[in-house]
Amino acid sequence: MKNYKVILPVLGLLIILLSNLALAITAEEIINRRDDNEYIVSARVESEMVIINGGRKMVKTMISLTDGRDGLTEFTNPRDRGTKFLKRGDDLWMFFPDAEDVVKISGHMLNQGMMGSDFSYQDIMESDKLTDLYNFEVIGEEEFAGRPCYLLEGIAKEGAEVSYYRRKIWIDKERFIGLKMELYAQSGRLLKVSRAEKVEKIEGRWLPTESVMENKLRRNTRTEFKIISIEFNPEIPGGTFTLQNLQ
Amino acid sequence: MQKILKVCLLLLVLILLFSLPLSAQADIGGELKTTLIGTVGEDGEISTDLQESLDLELFLPEFGNTEAKFQLELFNPPLKDLTGDDQRISVKKLYLRHRFTNLNLTLGRQPISWSFGSLLNPVDFTLGAVAMGEETSGKYVDAVEGYIPFNWNSGLALVAAYPEHSDEIKWGVRGRAGIRGYDLTMNFVREPEITVEIPGVGMFTNPPAKRAGLTFKGDLGPIGAYGAVGYYRRNNQESYVYLLGGDYSYYSGFDKKITFQLEYLSVNRDNLNNILGMNLTGLTSGGDDTLNLLLGNVSYPINDFSSVSLLPVISLDDGSLLLNPTYQNLLGNNLTLTVSGVVYYGDEDTLFGPKEITPVQGLPQKVPKGVLEVGFSYSF
Repeated sequence: MKNYKVILPVLGLLIILLSNLALAITAEEIINRRDDNEYIVSARVESEMVIINGGRKMVKTMISLTDGRDGLTEFTNPRDRGTKFLKRGDDLWMFFPDAEDVVKISGHMLNQGMMGSDFSYQDIMESDKLTDLYNFEVIGEEEFAGRPCYLLEGIAKEGAEVSYYRRKIWIDKERFIGLKMELYAQSGRLLKVSRAEKVEKIEGRWLPTESVMENKLRRNTRTEFKIISIEFNPEIPGGTFTLQNLQ
Repeated sequence: MQKILKVCLLLLVLILLFSLPLSAQADIGGELKTTLIGTVGEDGEISTDLQESLDLELFLPEFGNTEAKFQLELFNPPLKDLTGDDQRISVKKLYLRHRFTNLNLTLGRQPISWSFGSLLNPVDFTLGAVAMGEETSGKYVDAVEGYIPFNWNSGLALVAAYPEHSDEIKWGVRGRAGIRGYDLTMNFVREPEITVEIPGVGMFTNPPAKRAGLTFKGDLGPIGAYGAVGYYRRNNQESYVYLLGGDYSYYSGFDKKITFQLEYLSVNRDNLNNILGMNLTGLTSGGDDTLNLLLGNVSYPINDFSSVSLLPVISLDDGSLLLNPTYQNLLGNNLTLTVSGVVYYGDEDTLFGPKEITPVQGLPQKVPKGVLEVGFSYSF
């Protein structure tokens, strides 16, 4: 009987410990589940970008087609109407509507703010899965915007071509969607912060349909990005991601 | 021939328009622009000219694999005394394009320029069609163009154009290939004899010419590199043109990004006027000596809405200089203010220095000291 008094609590503790271990989720699983929601293989997206600097505002609208590592974006707002970007792998091409010229864009321009926004061409057109670019680990749990989140940190994998050396991501524990992301330079300096402002479930996937990117190196500036409509796995005609179609 | 082509094309566009379903969305957009140009003459006198233009484009939905474009420009021409016209209409685009599986066929007035990212393009379909970021009317031609793709980034373009002031066809062919991240092109252009009447001078004849060119563009580490080699043959006289350039972005603290572009051009004096485009035509008198130019462009975004840039052109042969600073500010969502200038500096009779220029009635007889332009443009 005395033995039972010892064995039972120990067994209880073991069960709790083992069940916790069994339920513990790894950083890779969290990111993969986040990618299941947010990583888009093929889609047609209509979106709006609002660039805000102090009291000034600039609105850009666009239609994008993505398929794996390829992407085609066409601007539809009056000032940029007809401007197109074609991304094939790491190559970026631009179509100038007035001249109807197709010009290859130098690689160093990829880090530049896209059409004056806080999103770089890389931010918009980054087509690799985060797990392919970063080594992630869970560094804690925190609440963000009233939602319990896993807090993950990703460090760029050696040799990976990334715009930001380190990322911190707040991932909703229930919906597995990134609610906040901090982007850092290798020096440790915080460069950009993005926040999901609105999250919607579309075709069974949670997606941030409204988000805000703030460049922390500039004051009073932010870019709002809204998905107006999205269609997953649309029928994309052959030859869409070609120079022939770009012109 | 050209008139018949234009009438046929207009009819085709109208047929296409009327055959569109009522639900199809057509739209009109464009740009309204007004610019005050102040020119400082050699003696310090200032003359001003107001230029206004309205660019109108009809955006039509694609009709199957066929698209139609119609864009025209209404403008009051600079130097009205020269033409006597107060207002003019210029059709920039009026064409039909059909995308076959292995051929894009474009018929009508269309822009044709073979840019590869340089400030000057010595191997363009029309020399000077686009120069230092500015386009000229030379880019818009009545033509038939066929583009045959070989793969996603390689193909062959064939152009037969009907130039104004000539009864013959101008034709060109351009091959493009993407190899290991480099964009390589090869082209050939045959220009017919062109005869133009210049007021106050008389008839001016440009004899037939042949041009061939090679270009490349790609990345060398963090630097974007490009270049061109051209061969010109006119009046049994041969000459070569060479261009080598690069661009680079310098980041200061991840935020302040300055973009640099630098290029070297070696060209026969006779051909420089054409390459520099309409904006700078008249700077050089004829001659077959070789000129060496160094061009640059430094641009700096002040913030999301405004930027400054400086474009210098230096003649390496005589040290004369042209400076083209530009400030641009997006005032409202679609309203842009642009302030730019051109300053010429050099000794008497140097490339960009004070000298007599082509005596055309109504045009200044000397290269000005500088030009200042203040303009607003509104996109809709």
